Amino acid sequence: MKEAMSKFLCPYCSTTFGVFEELKAHAISDHKTESVPAPEGLIRLTVNREVHEIQVEPQWTLNYLIHDRLGLTSPKMFCDRGACGSCTVILDGRPILSCMTLAIECDGTTIETAEGIAKSNHPLLDSYVKHHTMQCGYCTPGFITTSKAFLDRNPNPTEEEIREALSGNLCRCGTYPQHPKAVLEAAKNLREG
Amino acid sequence: MKKFSHVNALTIDEAVSILRRYGDRASLIAGGTDLLGKMKDRILSRYPEALVNLKTIPGLDFIKEENRILEIGALTRLEDIAIDQTVRGGYAALAQAANRTASPHLREMGTIGGNICQDIRCWYYRHPNNRFPCLRKGGGRCYAIEGDNRYHSIFGGSVEEGCYAVHPSDTAPALIALDAEIRTSKRTIKAGDFFQVEVTKTTVLDEDEIVTKILVPRPPENAKSGFVKFALRKTIDFPIVNCAALISSSEGKVSAARICLNAGYVKPYRASRAEEVIVGKTFNEADAEAAGSAAVSEAKPLPHNGYMVQIAKTMVKRAILACG
Amino acid sequence: MASDNLGDYERVQEEGKYSLEADIPTITFTEIGKRGIRRMDGYEKASGKAIYTRDMQLPGMLYGRVLMSPYARAKILRMDTGRAEALPGVRSIMRYDDPEIEGRGLNGSYFAPGWVGRQLKRSGLVEDELEGWGLKPVRPVLGDEAWYEGQPVGVAVAADSEDIANEALRLVDMDWEELPFVLDQEEALKPDAPILRPNSDSNLLEDPRQLLEVGDVEKGFKEADRIIEFTARRNAHLWAGAEMASVLVRWRGDNLEMWLREQQPYHAKMLFAEWMDLPMNRITVHSPYMGCSFGERGNPANNPSNGMNILAALFSKRTGRPVKFLYNRNETFFGESGDMMVSYFKVGAKEDGTITAVQIKNVFAVYMCTPGIEHFIDNTRIPNLKCEAITVDVSKAAAWWDRCEQLPNTFCFTLVFDHVAAELGMDPTEVALKNDGYDSRDTTHLSKYKSEHGFPDRDSLRECIKAGKKAIGWDEKWHPPGTKKLPNGKMHGMAFTWDHAWDDVRGTGSAAILIENDGTVSIIGQQADIGVNPWTAYCQIVADELGMRYQDINIKPFDLDQGFALMSPDGSCNLCSNGIVLRKAARKAKKMLLELAAQKFEDVRPEELDTKDRIIYVKSDPKREKTIKEVVARAMPMFASAGYWSEAPVIAWAWHTHGVWGEALETGRPRLGRQSHFIEVEVDTETGTVEVSRVVNVNDVGKAVSPETVEGQMYGGSYLGVGRSLTEEMIWDGKTGVLLNRNLLDYKYATMVDYGPVDAIFLETGLGHGPYGAIGVGEATATMMPALLGPAVYNAIGHWIDDFPITPDKVLKALGKA
Repeated sequence: MKEAMSKFLCPYCSTTFGVFEELKAHAISDHKTESVPAPEGLIRLTVNREVHEIQVEPQWTLNYLIHDRLGLTSPKMFCDRGACGSCTVILDGRPILSCMTLAIECDGTTIETAEGIAKSNHPLLDSYVKHHTMQCGYCTPGFITTSKAFLDRNPNPTEEEIREALSGNLCRCGTYPQHPKAVLEAAKNLREG
Repeated sequence: MKKFSHVNALTIDEAVSILRRYGDRASLIAGGTDLLGKMKDRILSRYPEALVNLKTIPGLDFIKEENRILEIGALTRLEDIAIDQTVRGGYAALAQAANRTASPHLREMGTIGGNICQDIRCWYYRHPNNRFPCLRKGGGRCYAIEGDNRYHSIFGGSVEEGCYAVHPSDTAPALIALDAEIRTSKRTIKAGDFFQVEVTKTTVLDEDEIVTKILVPRPPENAKSGFVKFALRKTIDFPIVNCAALISSSEGKVSAARICLNAGYVKPYRASRAEEVIVGKTFNEADAEAAGSAAVSEAKPLPHNGYMVQIAKTMVKRAILACG
Repeated sequence: MASDNLGDYERVQEEGKYSLEADIPTITFTEIGKRGIRRMDGYEKASGKAIYTRDMQLPGMLYGRVLMSPYARAKILRMDTGRAEALPGVRSIMRYDDPEIEGRGLNGSYFAPGWVGRQLKRSGLVEDELEGWGLKPVRPVLGDEAWYEGQPVGVAVAADSEDIANEALRLVDMDWEELPFVLDQEEALKPDAPILRPNSDSNLLEDPRQLLEVGDVEKGFKEADRIIEFTARRNAHLWAGAEMASVLVRWRGDNLEMWLREQQPYHAKMLFAEWMDLPMNRITVHSPYMGCSFGERGNPANNPSNGMNILAALFSKRTGRPVKFLYNRNETFFGESGDMMVSYFKVGAKEDGTITAVQIKNVFAVYMCTPGIEHFIDNTRIPNLKCEAITVDVSKAAAWWDRCEQLPNTFCFTLVFDHVAAELGMDPTEVALKNDGYDSRDTTHLSKYKSEHGFPDRDSLRECIKAGKKAIGWDEKWHPPGTKKLPNGKMHGMAFTWDHAWDDVRGTGSAAILIENDGTVSIIGQQADIGVNPWTAYCQIVADELGMRYQDINIKPFDLDQGFALMSPDGSCNLCSNGIVLRKAARKAKKMLLELAAQKFEDVRPEELDTKDRIIYVKSDPKREKTIKEVVARAMPMFASAGYWSEAPVIAWAWHTHGVWGEALETGRPRLGRQSHFIEVEVDTETGTVEVSRVVNVNDVGKAVSPETVEGQMYGGSYLGVGRSLTEEMIWDGKTGVLLNRNLLDYKYATMVDYGPVDAIFLETGLGHGPYGAIGVGEATATMMPALLGPAVYNAIGHWIDDFPITPDKVLKALGKA
C-alpha cells in the first residue's frame, strides 16, 4: 500500500512519478500548466490586416508605434495635441487621433491606416488623385482615413454630411472645397461596385 | 512623453484602491484627450507616475432608458451620445451639446465621464512647461487678471477669489439644465452640485472617487430642451460661452425653466434670474432678451472680456427660443 | 549680337534671358489645360507613402533638440549641464560657450551675412553686412542671451530619443536675468522704451527701402475734392504649416548628407557650406516632400532653418551618427509669423472716384515685407504717391513672408480703394476702373504696350469684374452700408477688391530633359515641393512640347542636387519662370530628337519632321513615321558600347532667368493681367460673429496649364486669407511678453465647415509673361483676401473696423455692445 501511495500519475499523459515534486516539474515543463504572466506592455493588434505582437512602453503613443516603430508613415504628426486630424487612424471602426492615444491601450484592437486603405484599392484613393484633393499632401492621409471610416458607416452621404465628418481635419493648404467632390465620387463608385 | 507606469483596471474597486494607494501620484485615464495634452505640455504640478486605465473596466459604456431615466455609462463616447436616437429624442440639449463638443475625432475618443471631469483651458494654466505658476497650481497669483483675459470668467473668480479660468465643458450645462445626477463610486451627486473649483480640482470628487454613470430624468412631455454654443470656429473649439435650457410650457406660456450657462464662469453658471424672468412669459424675442439681460445682471467682466457679457446674454436668449 | 558669334557660355546666358514679348503658343495643347489629369504625386500623398523629412529615420539616428527661451528678453547668468550630461541616452550636449559655436551667428539672409551680404556691402547696397533688410539683427546660432521668447538659446542636446533629449533639456539648471522688453512697435519708438539691441541707441531698424515717392502728394491733395484719413492695424498671424521644422544630417567621412525641409535646397546648401567652411561638392542635399511651405521654408536665414541645420551637422560630426533635429509644434510659433503693421493713410479723391494722391506711413514690427505703396505704382494711374515705411525692433521673433510678401501692399491697396468708394458713396468696382493703369499712366499706355509686344488687346480688369459681379450677383445685391437685414436677423455685407495679377515673377532655374532609351522622358532637376503641384504642370508642358503624352513624362525632384535646380531663392517662380525653363529644355531636346530622327529617315532634314502622339513624322508626308521609341533606342546616356553600336543621348538643358528682385517695374514688364475678389458676409449683431457666406475669386491666370491646380491655389488662398482677418491671431501676454496661444487649438485656422462656398473663377487672357501667357496664382488670392473683410463688415454694419483680425469683441465694440 505504501508503495502504491507513493506513485504519482500525470493526469495528462499518465506517466508515473515517485515523488510529487517530479510530477509538478513534469506538468509545468511538458504540459505548460503554470501560467506565467505575459510581459508587461506586450500587446497584440491587427494593423492593415497584419497581426503584430509588440512590446510597447506605457508612454508610447499609438502614433509613435505605428509611424516610428511599424514604419507606416501615413499618420502624420502635425499638431501633436488632438487639434488637427492628421494622425487619424481607424481603430475598431472609429476614426481616432493616434497622437492622443496610448499604444498600450490598443491591445486587441484592429487598426487601419491610409496604407491599408490604399492597398485594398478603396475608390477614395483614385478619386482623391483625380480631383487633385491635396496640395502638400501632409494632411491627406488623415482625410483618407476619416473619409473611409465615414463611408463605412454612411455609404450614401450628402455633401453636408461629408463636410461635417471631415470638420476635424485641418488643411493649411486649404484644399477643403475639393474633398466633398472626391468623397462623393468614391461613395458612388463604392455603391456601384 | 516622460515615462510612467500603466495599469489596466478591471473593476471600479481596483481603480479606487490604486488611487487610494498612490494618491496624486496616479491619474485616471479614460478617453485621454485632456490628460495626454497636459502630460505632453508638462503643465501638471505633479507629473503622474502611474496611469490607471478605466477603459478596461467592463460595463461602463452604455446608453439605456428605463422608467423614464436615461442612464449613460461614464465611458460612453460623446459621439455615441450625440447620435443616439433616444437621447436626441428626449434629451435634445444633451445630444446637441455632445454633438458640438470638440471635433468628430475627439468625440469618438472622449467620454462623457471625462468631459465633465476635464480640466480648465486657461492659457496661462496650460502654457507649456508650467511657465506660469498660477493659483490653480498652488502658485501665488492668477496671471489672467492682469494679462489677456478675453476668454475668462465674467462672473468673478474662485480659489480664494483668484482664479478666473472658466469651465470648458459643453455637456455640463446640458446635464445641469436636464437636472441630471452623477453616480460615482461612492455616492450620487446632483449635476448642479458636481462642479467645484479648488486648487487642481474642477469637481467635488474626492481623490479616490470615480464617476460611473450619469442619470438623466426624462423631461416632462410639455418640456423642450436645447443647447447653443458660441466659439470662433464651428468645430474643434472649446466654447467661449455656451448655454443649455430645459423649459416646460403650457398653452404657450413658460411654466418652468432650468437654464445653465458655461464657459462664462469658473463652473457652470445657473442663470436663475433668467429662469425667474421667463416663467410665465411666452416664447418671444423680447421676453427671451429680458431673460438674457437678467442672466448677466451680476456680471463683472474683466478688462478684455466685456464682449462675453453680450454673448452670454444672447446665448441665454437663444437657448430659451430654441425650446419654444 | 548675332548668336553665331557667341561662345557656349554666352549662348546659354543669352537664351536664358526673359523676354518682353508675348509668348504665343506654337504647339497644339493636348495635355496642357486638360482636366482630369492624375496628379504626379497624388497617389503617394493620399496613401501616406510620400516621405517627408519629419518621417525620415536612419540607422543609429540621434534626436537633436534645442532650448527655447521662456522669456521675452533675458540673459543666462549661470548654466549647469551636469545633470543633463548624466542622463542615460544623452550623447552630446552643445553649450553656447562651446568652441564650435561661440560667438557665431546665423548666415543666410539674402541681404545679410554671408557672401551675398558681403557682395552687397561692397557694392554699396547695404551698409552693414550683419544688418539686412529689416531682419532681426542679432542672430547667434546659440547664444547666452535671448531677444524674444522662443529663441534657441544656451544649450542643445542630441540623445537616443526625442523624449530623452527633452528630459535632458529640462535637467539643465539655469539662472536667468530677465531684461525689459517691448512688444508693440510704436511703444518701442518712445523715448522711455528699452533699447533691445546691444550697442544701439534706437529700436528703429535701418532699411534701405524706407521712402518711396512718386509725383507730389501735396499737389494731389490740393486737386482733390475730398481728403480721407484713417488708421489701420494688422496684427501678427502665423504660417503654421503642416510639417514642423526638422532636418536630418549625417557625415560620411568628409562628405555630408542632409535631408532638408527647405524651399531652396541648393541655396541652403550654399549658405550651409559657407558656415561650415565645407566645399559645396562634398555636400549632398536631399529634398523630400515638404509639409506645406508656401514661402515659410523659404527663409534660409532663421533659426528653424539655418540654425537647426548647423546644430544638427555639428552634433553629427561630434557623435559620428546621423542626427535628426526637431522642433515641436509650440516651438514653431517663433519665426514663422507674418509682419505686423500700423498704417496711417491720407488719400485725396475727386467726386468722380479719381484718386489724386495717396500718402501712407507704415510702422512695421521686426520685419517689413514690402513698404505698402508699390501696387499703386504697378497698378494704377494715381500720379502722386508717398510712402514712409519704417521697421522697428520689438521683443518678438523676426517675421517672414508666407503667401506672400505683398501683404502690406494689398492691405494698403484694398483699404484705400474701399475707403474712397465708401466716402464717395460709389460702387467700388467703378472706382477701380476709374484708376486702373500703371506707373501714373492710364490704360491707353497698357494697350500700347500690349500691341507693341504681341499681347491680345483685352481689358483684364473689366473682364475680371464682369465675371465676378455675375457670379456673386453684385448688381442685385450691392447696397449702402448697414442697410440690409437678412431674414435670419443678420446684417448682410459685401465687398470687392482688385489688384494686378502676380505677373511679377522673378527667379532663376535650370533643368534638363532626357529622352530615355524606351522613349519615356525624365525631367532632371531638384525642386522642393512647396505644395503647389508644379510637377504635374511641368510634365504637361514637356509632353506637349515633345509631342508625347503626359504619362510618358516623369520628374524625380528629390535627390539630384547638382546643377539643375528649379527653385531659386527668389521663390514665386514655380510655373511662370520654371515653366519656361522646362519649355526651353524640351524644345532643345526636341531639336536633338528630330536631328537623330532625320538620320534614321536618311533622306529628310530635321526641320521637315515633327512629332505628335509619340510619333515622329514627315510633315509633307505624314504617313512616313517612326515612333520616338525606335528613334532613341540606341541613344545611350549612361552606357558604353558593350560590344554593339550606340548613339549619343538625347539630353538637353536650359537655364532661364525671369528678372531679379528690386523696385516695381524694374524689368520693364507692366502687369497686364488683373484679379478681382468678392466676398459676402453675414454679421450677427448680437454676438459680433462675422460669417463668411460666399467668396468669389476671379484671377486672370493668362493660361491655366493645370486647371485643378489653379483652382486648388485659389481655394487655398481663400481659406488662408479669410482666416488671417477673421480668427487667426497671435496673442501675447503684455506683462511677460510670452505668446499665449502656442498650439493649433488656440491658434485658430479655418476648418472645412467655417466658410460658405468659394468660387474659383479663372480667366485665360494670355496677358502674362510666363509660358504661353501664363500668370502665377499661388500667392495672389491668399494675399488679397485678408483686407477684404474690413469693407465687407463696414458694408454690413456701417462701421469701419480697421483693426485686423476682426474678432467678435471688436464688432460688438463697434456696435456699442461691448
